Amino acid sequence: MELKDKLKILADSAKYDASCSSSGSTRKNKSGFGNVAFSGICHSFASDGRCISLLKILMTNCCIFDCKYCLNRKSNDIQRAIFTPEEVCQITMNFYRRNYIEGLFLSSGIIKSPDYTMELLIQTISLLRKKYHFGGYIHAKAIPGASEKLLKDLGLLVDRLSANVELPTENGLKLLAPNKKESNVSKIMHYVNTNQSKKYVPAGQSTQMIIGATKESDLEIMEKSANLYSNYQLKRVFYSAYIPVNQDSLLPTLEHPPLKRENRLYQADWLLRFYNFKVKDLLDEKNPNFNILIDPKADWALRHLNEFPKEISKCSYYDLLKIPGIGVKSAKRILSSRRVFKISFEDLKKMGVVLKRAKYFITCNGKYFMNYAFFQKEFIERNLVLEEKIPLNKIHEQLRFFNE
Amino acid sequence: MNNGCFIYEDTFVHLLNLIFYLIQNHLKPENIKNTMYTPNLLDHVIVLKIEKNPEIISKIITSMGSFTFRSIYYVFLSDVDNKELIIYYLLLNGVKYKEKVLYHRNLKCVEKTINISRYVLHEVHKYKGFLRFKELENHILYAEIEPENDILFMVSHHFQRRLKNEYWIIKDVKRKIVSIYDKKKYYLVSEENFSLETTKLSQKEIEMGELWKTFYKTIGIKERKNDRCRMNFMPKKYWKYMVEMEDIL
Ligand code: SF4
Repeated sequence: MELKDKLKILADSAKYDASCSSSGSTRKNKSGFGNVAFSGICHSFASDGRCISLLKILMTNCCIFDCKYCLNRKSNDIQRAIFTPEEVCQITMNFYRRNYIEGLFLSSGIIKSPDYTMELLIQTISLLRKKYHFGGYIHAKAIPGASEKLLKDLGLLVDRLSANVELPTENGLKLLAPNKKESNVSKIMHYVNTNQSKKYVPAGQSTQMIIGATKESDLEIMEKSANLYSNYQLKRVFYSAYIPVNQDSLLPTLEHPPLKRENRLYQADWLLRFYNFKVKDLLDEKNPNFNILIDPKADWALRHLNEFPKEISKCSYYDLLKIPGIGVKSAKRILSSRRVFKISFEDLKKMGVVLKRAKYFITCNGKYFMNYAFFQKEFIERNLVLEEKIPLNKIHEQLRFFNE
Repeated sequence: MNNGCFIYEDTFVHLLNLIFYLIQNHLKPENIKNTMYTPNLLDHVIVLKIEKNPEIISKIITSMGSFTFRSIYYVFLSDVDNKELIIYYLLLNGVKYKEKVLYHRNLKCVEKTINISRYVLHEVHKYKGFLRFKELENHILYAEIEPENDILFMVSHHFQRRLKNEYWIIKDVKRKIVSIYDKKKYYLVSEENFSLETTKLSQKEIEMGELWKTFYKTIGIKERKNDRCRMNFMPKKYWKYMVEMEDIL
């Protein structure tokens, strides 16, 4: 098989993994070829608008497992390919020199056994680091079920090492990935977390969950994420809207991937990590799913309207962060500026604070942006929904899914 | 001698010296321009003899902080009209507000300085990713860029660290300047004083470009196709120099 055909097959099978970031590594490279950029660099954007930063490929799409949602599952009759370690190095080095990529993302189907597959990854990456002195970013996927010794070896070679949770609950896994065990993934996460250092997996670990292949609610998904962040200090949880690649009675049939839902989960994920929100602030048993029409923070604010409007010239940093449309950067700008002058709505605009949503929830020097009589839930809600501009067919798709 | 258009000798240091002279002598410029400027009929052009003292830089850093200084420098690198006047007003306020000057976001010059420096840094960041090298027959890596702002040296600085064991050349097509890296340092030279020995691509080049295009086409998920999003993150002006976009343009 020609290299080009292999690349096509093995990139095609890898493309569903959502993680792309190349950030967070502080690994130093003294003599070798290339380096890492702490804040990450996107080298291109694909036709789906996602950032391309790493050469994202599988070592092989052969797999002894039969996960229902996966293109590479054993029972699929598809063309199989496997890279040689040398081939992976050649492509990586040549792409890197031309500045196509920031580094390599290497995952794999499970060939022969988890240990055998891990060894293949280690052999490849160690060739890349030691023979080719590659100093760029490497994100490798650990193979669940492989031995601790191999986990140790691989982690010393890469910037990021991660394992995918895949489905938010053990039940989901049992149903769709009968060969996989949750405990195998948590074992990896635990090991990486306890051993992480400047030399071992310096950029930390991340994971991914498929959204919409099983029936978990957003509440279950967010609780899972919150646990992962607190138990294993994950850098990121990625959410990947389920895209049907296989026919299977156990899988839902969707016309469009639930992209809006995915988007809401990412927004809520930010609220957990940077805005001091807890899962229970956002969702509960009665409302276990996010409002598709309004982003989670605005939705929360509407339910807590008695805490608003907040006065820009006085309220605390954490209160600023609670205002819909105001992010960490805007909040910091407001803090530093209000010490030296009185901020008006005009000034907020000049400072680059987006008022589209924020204006309904704030006062500047006691003034509301319009007649205060309009500070009412129904009015604000209606306007916020209009701001979102979601095409109607998308909404139907989402609602249909929730009601099933 | 008020209200004129003052001329500086094209360098950043000279501009700063001129501005401080103006501030100290309470001269209010109508405009400040470099020597390339063609004055119009109404302009009252003034050329002052001012020394070029580089100590001005540490003076600014000590009184207004290094962040302020860097922001001013990015404004200088930008392609914005009247950038010299913006710098003048910022320094004028800087004398008054010291290291807190950038907090005064209600001032026009502060708003502009912050926005322009962000715009310059943003462009540098984009080029760190979107720049594409091609390998020439003699193994030298060659790239062309067409930035809005004068950022060739900032881009070079990045690649000096990243591709330190390679010979590479980056050309700013718009400004006709070339950056040449000899595995130790990079040099910026004007295009007139420089010619490429060969522009022929190496044998491998076509093959690698094809591989990359294959990867690029494969990695996009068709069920998630989103042209608007791609265009937002990667505006069309960059496509011209990107191998993977050749077939799409
Ligand atoms: S283990 Fe499951 S998800 Fe991974 S490649 Fe094999 S079938 Fe696909």
